Amino acid sequence: MWSAILIREARLRAGLSQQELAARSGRERSVIARWEQGAVAPSLEALLKIIQACGFDLPLELVARDDSTDEQLRKNARLSPERRVQRLLQARGKSG
Amino acid sequence: MADRPPFDPYAILTALERRRVSYVVIGAFARVVQGAEEITHGIDIVPSIRGENLRRLELALEDLDAVRVDAEPVVLDEATIRDESWLELRSPAGELKVVPEPAGTRAGYDDLRRAATREPIGKGLRPSVASTADLARMLAALGREADLPKLIALRRLQGLERALGPELGR
Repeated sequence: MWSAILIREARLRAGLSQQELAARSGRERSVIARWEQGAVAPSLEALLKIIQACGFDLPLELVARDDSTDEQLRKNARLSPERRVQRLLQARGKSG
Repeated sequence: MADRPPFDPYAILTALERRRVSYVVIGAFARVVQGAEEITHGIDIVPSIRGENLRRLELALEDLDAVRVDAEPVVLDEATIRDESWLELRSPAGELKVVPEPAGTRAGYDDLRRAATREPIGKGLRPSVASTADLARMLAALGREADLPKLIALRRLQGLERALGPELGR
Protein backbone atom coordinates (compact mmCIF):
# COMPACT_ATOMS: atom_id res chain seq x y z
CA MET A 1 0.00 0.00 0.00
CA TRP A 2 2.76 2.45 0.91
CA SER A 3 4.63 1.55 -2.24
CA ALA A 4 1.47 2.30 -4.26
CA ILE A 5 1.16 5.75 -2.68
CA LEU A 6 4.83 6.58 -3.17
CA ILE A 7 5.10 5.38 -6.76
CA ARG A 8 2.04 7.35 -7.85
CA GLU A 9 3.20 10.46 -6.02
CA ALA A 10 6.71 10.26 -7.53
CA ARG A 11 5.33 9.72 -11.04
CA LEU A 12 2.89 12.63 -10.79
CA ARG A 13 5.53 14.95 -9.32
CA ALA A 14 7.79 14.04 -12.22
CA GLY A 15 4.94 14.78 -14.63
CA LEU A 16 5.17 11.34 -16.21
CA SER A 17 2.46 9.10 -17.59
CA GLN A 18 2.56 5.42 -16.67
CA GLN A 19 3.71 4.72 -20.24
CA GLU A 20 6.56 7.21 -19.96
CA LEU A 21 7.64 5.76 -16.64
CA ALA A 22 7.53 2.29 -18.16
CA ALA A 23 9.87 3.42 -20.93
CA ARG A 24 12.25 5.05 -18.46
CA SER A 25 12.34 2.15 -16.04
CA GLY A 26 12.21 -0.78 -18.43
CA ARG A 27 9.08 -2.12 -16.70
CA GLU A 28 5.76 -3.00 -18.34
CA ARG A 29 3.13 -0.28 -18.03
CA SER A 30 0.68 -2.86 -16.70
CA VAL A 31 3.12 -3.73 -13.89
CA ILE A 32 3.39 -0.08 -12.89
CA ALA A 33 -0.40 0.22 -12.99
CA ARG A 34 -0.80 -2.79 -10.66
CA TRP A 35 1.80 -1.38 -8.29
CA GLU A 36 -0.02 1.96 -8.19
CA GLN A 37 -3.33 0.25 -7.57
CA GLY A 38 -1.79 -1.70 -4.72
CA ALA A 39 -2.86 -4.94 -6.39
CA VAL A 40 0.69 -6.20 -6.01
CA ALA A 41 3.65 -4.72 -4.17
CA PRO A 42 7.13 -4.36 -5.67
CA SER A 43 10.20 -5.57 -3.84
CA LEU A 44 12.03 -2.89 -1.91
CA GLU A 45 14.77 -2.87 -4.55
CA ALA A 46 12.23 -2.44 -7.36
CA LEU A 47 10.51 0.34 -5.41
CA LEU A 48 13.76 2.27 -5.01
CA LYS A 49 14.56 1.86 -8.71
CA ILE A 50 11.16 3.04 -9.89
CA ILE A 51 11.35 6.07 -7.59
CA GLN A 52 14.81 6.82 -9.00
CA ALA A 53 13.42 6.55 -12.54
CA CYS A 54 11.10 9.41 -11.56
CA GLY A 55 14.12 11.48 -10.57
CA PHE A 56 13.82 11.06 -6.81
CA ASP A 57 15.62 9.23 -4.04
CA LEU A 58 13.81 7.50 -1.22
CA PRO A 59 16.17 7.75 1.74
CA LEU A 60 15.74 4.86 4.11
CA GLU A 61 16.37 5.65 7.72
CA LEU A 62 15.20 4.03 10.92
CA VAL A 63 13.54 6.53 13.25
CA ALA A 64 11.56 6.03 16.43
CA ARG A 65 7.87 5.62 15.66
CA ASP A 66 5.56 8.30 17.03
CA ASP A 67 2.01 6.98 17.07
CA SER A 68 0.64 9.62 19.43
CA THR A 69 -1.60 11.12 16.75
CA ASP A 70 -2.85 7.85 15.26
CA GLU A 71 -5.90 7.51 17.48
CA GLN A 72 -6.99 11.09 16.77
CA LEU A 73 -6.55 10.57 13.03
CA ARG A 74 -8.63 7.41 13.25
CA LYS A 75 -11.39 9.36 14.99
CA ASN A 76 -11.14 12.20 12.49
CA ALA A 77 -11.39 9.76 9.60
CA ARG A 78 -14.82 8.75 10.88
CA LEU A 79 -16.09 12.33 11.30
CA SER A 80 -18.01 14.13 8.57
CA PRO A 81 -16.21 16.97 6.77
CA GLU A 82 -18.70 19.36 8.39
CA ARG A 83 -17.77 18.12 11.86
CA ARG A 84 -14.07 18.43 11.06
CA VAL A 85 -14.52 22.09 10.12
CA GLN A 86 -16.55 22.71 13.27
CA ARG A 87 -13.74 21.18 15.34
CA LEU A 88 -11.22 23.48 13.63
CA LEU A 89 -13.30 26.55 14.43
CA GLN A 90 -13.75 25.41 18.04
CA ALA A 91 -10.01 24.77 18.38
CA ARG A 92 -9.27 28.27 17.07
CA GLY A 93 -11.57 29.65 19.74
CA LYS A 94 -9.69 27.77 22.45
CA SER A 95 -6.23 28.66 21.10
CA GLY A 96 -6.97 32.40 20.95
CA MET B 1 -4.12 37.87 24.94
CA ALA B 2 -3.26 38.30 21.27
CA ASP B 3 -6.09 39.11 18.88
CA ARG B 4 -7.10 36.07 16.92
CA PRO B 5 -7.27 36.79 13.17
CA PRO B 6 -10.82 36.59 11.82
CA PHE B 7 -11.71 33.41 9.99
CA ASP B 8 -15.07 32.54 8.52
CA PRO B 9 -14.45 29.83 5.93
CA TYR B 10 -18.14 29.71 5.11
CA ALA B 11 -18.18 33.39 4.10
CA ILE B 12 -15.12 32.96 1.88
CA LEU B 13 -16.40 29.83 0.17
CA THR B 14 -19.93 31.23 -0.19
CA ALA B 15 -18.49 34.23 -2.06
CA LEU B 16 -16.60 31.91 -4.41
CA GLU B 17 -19.61 29.67 -4.99
CA ARG B 18 -21.98 32.61 -5.50
CA ARG B 19 -19.78 33.84 -8.35
CA ARG B 20 -19.44 30.28 -9.68
CA VAL B 21 -15.65 30.31 -9.45
CA SER B 22 -13.95 27.05 -10.47
CA TYR B 23 -11.32 26.20 -7.86
CA VAL B 24 -9.86 23.46 -5.69
CA VAL B 25 -9.21 24.02 -1.97
CA ILE B 26 -5.67 23.07 -0.92
CA GLY B 27 -3.41 23.73 2.07
CA ALA B 28 -4.17 23.47 5.76
CA PHE B 29 -7.94 23.97 5.46
CA ALA B 30 -8.13 21.19 2.88
CA ARG B 31 -6.05 18.93 5.11
CA VAL B 32 -8.45 19.57 8.00
CA VAL B 33 -11.45 18.78 5.79
CA GLN B 34 -9.72 15.51 4.86
CA GLY B 35 -9.14 14.62 8.53
CA ALA B 36 -5.84 16.21 9.58
CA GLU B 37 -5.45 17.78 13.00
CA GLU B 38 -4.27 21.33 12.27
CA ILE B 39 -5.26 24.89 12.99
CA THR B 40 -5.44 27.51 10.26
CA HIS B 41 -6.71 31.06 9.82
CA GLY B 42 -7.21 31.02 6.10
CA ILE B 43 -8.08 29.19 2.93
CA ASP B 44 -5.77 28.40 0.02
CA ILE B 45 -7.27 27.80 -3.40
CA VAL B 46 -6.07 26.82 -6.85
CA PRO B 47 -8.33 28.50 -9.39
CA SER B 48 -8.84 27.62 -13.01
CA ILE B 49 -6.80 30.32 -14.75
CA ARG B 50 -9.12 30.61 -17.73
CA GLY B 51 -10.02 34.23 -18.40
CA GLU B 52 -13.72 34.07 -17.57
CA ASN B 53 -13.04 32.23 -14.32
CA LEU B 54 -10.45 34.79 -13.25
CA ARG B 55 -13.05 37.50 -13.87
CA ARG B 56 -15.48 35.63 -11.61
CA LEU B 57 -12.76 35.25 -8.98
CA GLU B 58 -12.08 38.98 -9.15
CA LEU B 59 -15.77 39.67 -8.49
CA ALA B 60 -15.79 37.25 -5.54
CA LEU B 61 -12.74 38.99 -4.08
CA GLU B 62 -14.52 42.32 -4.44
CA ASP B 63 -17.55 40.86 -2.64
CA LEU B 64 -15.22 39.81 0.20
CA ASP B 65 -13.49 43.21 0.34
CA ALA B 66 -10.25 41.28 -0.09
CA VAL B 67 -6.98 43.16 -0.55
CA ARG B 68 -3.46 41.96 -1.19
CA VAL B 69 -1.32 41.91 1.93
CA ASP B 70 1.47 43.63 -0.03
CA ALA B 71 -1.00 46.45 -0.85
CA GLU B 72 -0.50 45.91 -4.58
CA PRO B 73 -3.67 46.08 -6.72
CA VAL B 74 -5.41 42.78 -7.42
CA VAL B 75 -4.92 42.06 -11.12
CA LEU B 76 -6.25 38.73 -12.27
CA ASP B 77 -5.75 37.90 -15.91
CA GLU B 78 -4.22 34.94 -17.67
CA ALA B 79 -1.01 36.78 -18.51
CA THR B 80 -0.19 38.22 -15.09
CA ILE B 81 -1.35 35.32 -12.91
CA ARG B 82 1.17 33.00 -14.55
CA ASP B 83 3.92 35.22 -13.17
CA GLU B 84 2.64 34.99 -9.59
CA SER B 85 3.69 32.14 -7.29
CA TRP B 86 0.68 33.05 -5.19
CA LEU B 87 -1.52 35.98 -4.22
CA GLU B 88 -1.90 36.54 -0.51
CA LEU B 89 -5.09 38.37 0.38
CA ARG B 90 -6.69 39.58 3.56
CA SER B 91 -10.42 40.07 4.04
CA PRO B 92 -12.83 40.63 6.92
CA ALA B 93 -13.67 36.91 6.62
CA GLY B 94 -10.04 35.83 6.90
CA GLU B 95 -6.97 35.15 4.81
CA LEU B 96 -7.23 33.80 1.29
CA LYS B 97 -4.27 32.59 -0.72
CA VAL B 98 -4.65 32.12 -4.48
CA VAL B 99 -2.06 29.69 -5.83
CA PRO B 100 -2.12 29.26 -9.62
CA GLU B 101 0.30 26.32 -9.77
CA PRO B 102 1.28 24.77 -6.42
CA ALA B 103 4.60 22.97 -6.05
CA GLY B 104 4.38 19.35 -7.11
CA THR B 105 1.56 19.89 -9.60
CA ARG B 106 1.47 20.35 -13.35
CA ALA B 107 -0.92 23.01 -14.56
CA GLY B 108 -2.46 23.48 -11.09
CA TYR B 109 -6.23 23.31 -11.31
CA ASP B 110 -6.43 20.88 -14.23
CA ASP B 111 -4.10 18.50 -12.41
CA LEU B 112 -5.85 18.66 -9.03
CA ARG B 113 -9.49 18.69 -10.10
CA ARG B 114 -9.33 15.08 -11.34
CA ALA B 115 -8.94 13.62 -7.85
CA ALA B 116 -10.64 16.45 -5.93
CA THR B 117 -13.96 15.69 -4.28
CA ARG B 118 -16.95 17.81 -3.32
CA GLU B 119 -16.97 17.75 0.48
CA PRO B 120 -20.11 18.73 2.44
CA ILE B 121 -18.69 21.12 5.03
CA GLY B 122 -22.00 22.52 6.23
CA LYS B 123 -24.24 25.52 5.46
CA GLY B 124 -25.08 23.90 2.13
CA LEU B 125 -21.53 24.26 0.86
CA ARG B 126 -19.75 21.49 -1.04
CA PRO B 127 -16.42 22.97 -2.14
CA SER B 128 -14.05 21.00 -4.30
CA VAL B 129 -11.23 19.83 -2.02
CA ALA B 130 -7.91 18.32 -3.14
CA SER B 131 -7.46 14.61 -2.43
CA THR B 132 -5.33 13.44 0.47
CA ALA B 133 -2.82 12.03 -2.02
CA ASP B 134 -2.53 15.35 -3.85
CA LEU B 135 -2.25 17.26 -0.59
CA ALA B 136 0.66 14.99 0.38
CA ARG B 137 2.23 15.42 -3.06
CA MET B 138 2.13 19.22 -2.74
CA LEU B 139 3.43 19.25 0.83
CA ALA B 140 6.25 16.84 -0.02
CA ALA B 141 7.25 18.95 -3.03
CA LEU B 142 7.78 21.97 -0.78
CA GLY B 143 10.53 20.01 0.96
CA ARG B 144 10.19 21.85 4.28
CA GLU B 145 11.41 19.99 7.32
CA ALA B 146 8.84 21.77 9.50
CA ASP B 147 6.06 20.17 7.43
CA LEU B 148 7.23 16.63 8.13
CA PRO B 149 4.70 15.92 10.94
CA LYS B 150 1.88 17.16 8.67
CA LEU B 151 3.16 14.96 5.86
CA ILE B 152 3.33 11.93 8.13
CA ALA B 153 -0.25 12.61 9.24
CA LEU B 154 -1.39 12.83 5.61
CA ARG B 155 0.34 9.56 4.79
CA ARG B 156 -1.45 7.90 7.71
CA LEU B 157 -4.74 9.36 6.53
CA GLN B 158 -4.03 7.93 3.07
CA GLY B 159 -3.49 4.57 4.71
CA LEU B 160 -6.74 4.90 6.67
CA GLU B 161 -8.67 5.86 3.54
CA ARG B 162 -7.41 2.76 1.82
CA ALA B 163 -8.03 0.53 4.81
CA LEU B 164 -11.43 1.97 5.77
CA GLY B 165 -12.49 3.11 2.28
CA PRO B 166 -15.84 1.33 1.97
CA GLU B 167 -16.66 2.11 5.61
CA LEU B 168 -16.00 5.81 4.98
CA GLY B 169 -17.91 5.84 1.72
CA ARG B 170 -14.75 6.46 -0.35
